[in-house]
Amino acid sequence: MDFTISEEVRSAQQLAQQILGDYTSVDQLKAIERQAERFDAGLWQALADAGLLGLDISENHGGTELGFYSLTTLCEEVGRTVAPVPVIPVLVSAAGTLRRFGSDTQKDQWLTAIASGATLISAALGEYNNDDPTAPGSTAQKKEGGFSISGTKICVSHARSAARILLSARMGEELVVALVDPRAAGVTLNAQIVTTGETQYELVMNKVQVPAADIIAVGGEALAAMDWALLATRTALAAMALGVCDKMMRITGQYTSEREQFGRAIATFQAVSHRVADCYIDVECLRLVTQQAAALIDQSRPADEAVLMAKIWCGNVTHRVSQASQHCHGGTGVDRDYPLYRYCELARQIELTAGSSAQLTGELGQGICAEYLSKAG
Amino acid sequence: MNIELTAQQKALQLEVREYMKTVMTPALLEEMKVGEFKEGGGPEFRKQYARMGADGWIGLSWSKELGGKELSHIEQYIFTDEVVRSGFAYPFLTTESTTPVIAANANAEVREEVVGGVKQGKVVIAIGYSEPNAGTDLASLTTKAERDGDDWIINGQKMWTSLANFADYVWLAARTDPGAIKKHKGLTMFLVPTNIEGFSYTPVHTLGVRTNATYYSDIRLPDKYRVGEVNAGWKLITGQLNIERLSLFTHGQVDSLYQGVCEWAATTPAPKGGKLIEQPWVQHNLAKVKSGLEVVKLICWKQAWTMDQGPLNMADASVAKVYSSEFFVELYRMLLEVMGQAGTIAPHSPGAVLKGKLEFRWRVGAVLTFGGGANEVQRDIIAMAGLWMPRTR
Repeated sequence: MDFTISEEVRSAQQLAQQILGDYTSVDQLKAIERQAERFDAGLWQALADAGLLGLDISENHGGTELGFYSLTTLCEEVGRTVAPVPVIPVLVSAAGTLRRFGSDTQKDQWLTAIASGATLISAALGEYNNDDPTAPGSTAQKKEGGFSISGTKICVSHARSAARILLSARMGEELVVALVDPRAAGVTLNAQIVTTGETQYELVMNKVQVPAADIIAVGGEALAAMDWALLATRTALAAMALGVCDKMMRITGQYTSEREQFGRAIATFQAVSHRVADCYIDVECLRLVTQQAAALIDQSRPADEAVLMAKIWCGNVTHRVSQASQHCHGGTGVDRDYPLYRYCELARQIELTAGSSAQLTGELGQGICAEYLSKAG
Repeated sequence: MNIELTAQQKALQLEVREYMKTVMTPALLEEMKVGEFKEGGGPEFRKQYARMGADGWIGLSWSKELGGKELSHIEQYIFTDEVVRSGFAYPFLTTESTTPVIAANANAEVREEVVGGVKQGKVVIAIGYSEPNAGTDLASLTTKAERDGDDWIINGQKMWTSLANFADYVWLAARTDPGAIKKHKGLTMFLVPTNIEGFSYTPVHTLGVRTNATYYSDIRLPDKYRVGEVNAGWKLITGQLNIERLSLFTHGQVDSLYQGVCEWAATTPAPKGGKLIEQPWVQHNLAKVKSGLEVVKLICWKQAWTMDQGPLNMADASVAKVYSSEFFVELYRMLLEVMGQAGTIAPHSPGAVLKGKLEFRWRVGAVLTFGGGANEVQRDIIAMAGLWMPRTR
């Protein structure tokens, strides 16, 4: 048993912290928020130049190959700074899946360009009333030279600027994982403003012709690809939540230590300090389950239950820490000139992405039921 | 980052688990049905405790000088976890908390008598800290020890002196300087043999187990039973919290309860067909228990691992205490809910589910959130040591 974080992973995280800190002053965040796309191209390039976009990309594709665990620590730092960069859809859901399930040609074509910052590949894992990419409602039909895909994906990040969007569709009982070109005929993108204020997209596909070169996997391999993508995405979201919650809690600890009412700092009231102490406990719990899930995926070991538990904790902790932070700030917390609201919005966004705590608690319970019924014979 | 026991650690776990099965003899299980002996102290308990000593299982974490094996904290935790899981009333506070302090601070004769006795599984030590008017604010205790020639005269009363009804010594905190401006600077530690004249106890029956009030009436105690310097007792009380923490909350025992309820629910029919475990609300409770228990396991492991790297940070120690104590209370409730009304059937009554273990754990669990440092105080520590917030008033 060893909780040591390797020196390389730690220095990559510190480097990320430094770069992200340089690009996320309130003024800079506000400037990016005035853009049509919530994307800091300069920051993205700086991360690329520092080798941080390629943490989980192999060296022959220009990555640093530190592995999935290291990538989750980048996600944590992005959460801590609410930086407007799509690390999860691009680096985890898309590039991570491509790296493990793409053909050599596909990897050559896309991974080098992702690591260098030249190209964005996004991912679309969710549909209306369906957060499960292993059981999509979108359909695929085999056609001459590829597949024809129809269906609707929602809340797709950077759908307009991405070169391709990784998604799944079903062909009868079988699953197909494909890279869809958002400029292809039959694709409609409808802007959707989400909780963070980011413009995401409803991606409507009407018989979109996807060439064979952009098909990542079909059948069992496609199922494995979407299983992996879901596990990795949920874990990365938990890691980002860890950064978000840790920072919210620290902002709140500091604010309540300075804010005076009744002639004293409000942190000297136990009713206040204990609420922040509860956040600290929650954050430590989230840290442990997240590290466990990330380490298991990193080592390619079974992670299904560990990830479910990490995302369940993620949903609960983001909710609780966010509400406690808002509450302890009083009116200051909801003021858009004060930094807290961005964290609260991102917390809610993460909580409801790729499976809520209620849904996943249900899934975990079904798993327990199946396990013990089979043991009972 | 590899959060799993190594093959060697797993082997130790298995070895302790198998050994403890031989300690929990049918005779001991029978003896523990008697309220008086639930927490140990009966003749069969004494026999098995001494056997653990003879087989070399006591004091594994101690230094080699003391006859210990200097186990790492992780190994010590594995040992503790398995002993707690077995249900044996192993006196952790004796072996892990007080004995190492006594070994480091007592005079040679007493050290030999006490440390040697504990090593052989022949000595049990009760803790004499709390008083009727000194609980969370322990430093305000008033039991006093006054110097008289080569002896000390001790007068006072202690509360919640668990095991005192069969212990060989009480590890007693007494006030030796009533004038000390800082009240924690006027305390001294003593070992009081329970067969000494002037010592007595009366039982206190709690929601869970039996404990005691102990009385110290003009006890004439030779100075050799003083441990550490005069008025330097506070450091001895707080100095040995580390290893004690490893036995405060462990994962194995509650995990066994969870598994037991899962197995029970998978074989018990639901009123309208199918098994109980197929009910959504049952699955919901079990899933909540499982995801909470996972964190107990990770906290325990991380704590033990951290202690092998260096001192444990104060905030983290308090996180472990608050989280585990509050979650255990929730866990007992959620598992009892699954059993429904049958969950109220007491141990040894016909029809008790899982031998009534959960009904009993709930009773004992009532002390968790305030025992071992009230959770309010722990939260104060977290806010100060973890978040640098100002002291509450």
